[in-house]
Amino acid sequence: MKALWTNIDYVASVVLLLIGLYAIMAKGNLVKKLMGLNIIETAVFAFVMAAGIVDGGDAPIMGPGANPPFANPLPQGLILTGIVVAFSTSALALSLIIRIYARFGTIESEELWGVE
Amino acid sequence: MSRAFDVVLYGLLIACALAVIRTKDLLAAAIIFSTYSLIMCLLWQLRGSPDVALTEAAVGAGVTTVLFLIAVSRTTRRER
Amino acid sequence: MRRVLTLALLILASVPLLYGVAKLPPIGSVDNPAYTHVVPHYLEKGPEETGCENIVTAIILNYRGFDTNGEVTVIFTSLMAVFGVLLAAKKAKEQPGAIETPVSPVTHFIVRTLAPFIVVFSAYMIIYGHSTPGGGFQGGTIIGALLIATSLVVGSKHAQTFLPEPIRLWLQPAAVLTFTVVGLVGMLLLGKYLSYPVDGAYLFLRVPFLTAIEFGIGIGGAAIVASVFWAMEGSIE
Repeated sequence: MKALWTNIDYVASVVLLLIGLYAIMAKGNLVKKLMGLNIIETAVFAFVMAAGIVDGGDAPIMGPGANPPFANPLPQGLILTGIVVAFSTSALALSLIIRIYARFGTIESEELWGVE
Repeated sequence: MSRAFDVVLYGLLIACALAVIRTKDLLAAAIIFSTYSLIMCLLWQLRGSPDVALTEAAVGAGVTTVLFLIAVSRTTRRER
Repeated sequence: MRRVLTLALLILASVPLLYGVAKLPPIGSVDNPAYTHVVPHYLEKGPEETGCENIVTAIILNYRGFDTNGEVTVIFTSLMAVFGVLLAAKKAKEQPGAIETPVSPVTHFIVRTLAPFIVVFSAYMIIYGHSTPGGGFQGGTIIGALLIATSLVVGSKHAQTFLPEPIRLWLQPAAVLTFTVVGLVGMLLLGKYLSYPVDGAYLFLRVPFLTAIEFGIGIGGAAIVASVFWAMEGSIE
């Protein structure tokens, strides 16, 4: 229990991941499912960022006045890439949703079972 | 001290995520999702990563929300 | 029924996740495994090896440049996919009688007043991305967001005149093109794709390389963000 409290950042990202997973599994609306996917993505970003937290760490920007400890720059670089890729997938998924609505008139996955 | 503030922010994040799932109005869900991204951005700024915070504010809270709003306006607003 | 089943599954899934999380090394220490491999080298030698005071920029443009090259390819591909998906739907529109939603004069005024400041802010972010927070993609996204805001206020037709179709076609792949050009120039001069001069005769090229890539990502990002918006907004009602 105490280990969970010291790693509260990891625990929070696990909870967010489960919430997003619930949205994907239990919700029928495609936009809601996509929001769940986005929540999972941010949860994963938070998880990776949590590995790079340094207590009292400054932004890793050198130059005059910079003094250690610095926050870990490597997860930050990885997550910058991740955010952009998340944006790309969201844009593609949303345009697919718009097309599905234009074609079938619904974005509820259960009603989409019956359409031809 | 900062740990306690982090916990408060995490609580807000989880509350926002639950609200996104609970609400039936997709427009409201998109706006709440934007709030979620802004809280995330604040959290990252506090951890000494202004680059990621800027990106999250511009992409997550800004552009992705706009795309969600267009999608909602082109489809339906109510979730069944 | 489905809801209960899903909840049960998730609770089941949470047990190993939380167990694993409790076993991870405690957060916040400099002795974490994540901090001990390459990070001390980046922090110590970064400014001198890459010319970037901002280590995050040094990592995404120099040490892990291939990642960023892949990222700009991904976002460009996704734009092409969005065009492909929405192209047929776009043809179906073309009805002149669409009702224009009137915009509040307050919004109009605020967007017009803030626009120059936003442009200056993002230009600063792109140009000084190597020594201050921010960088090419952030600045580009902000310009793209400004274009979106302008489209919402004055209408897409009018806003698209800032980026006319023939110019837009070359701006959308700008990030991929600059990466390829800089990578190939680096290959010709130094032997490896996307390598930057660390010392020697070509050291003066380091800053131009970085600036070119930052501008490429910025302009390409802005064009892509705005184009995705216009493609989705122009699709059928």
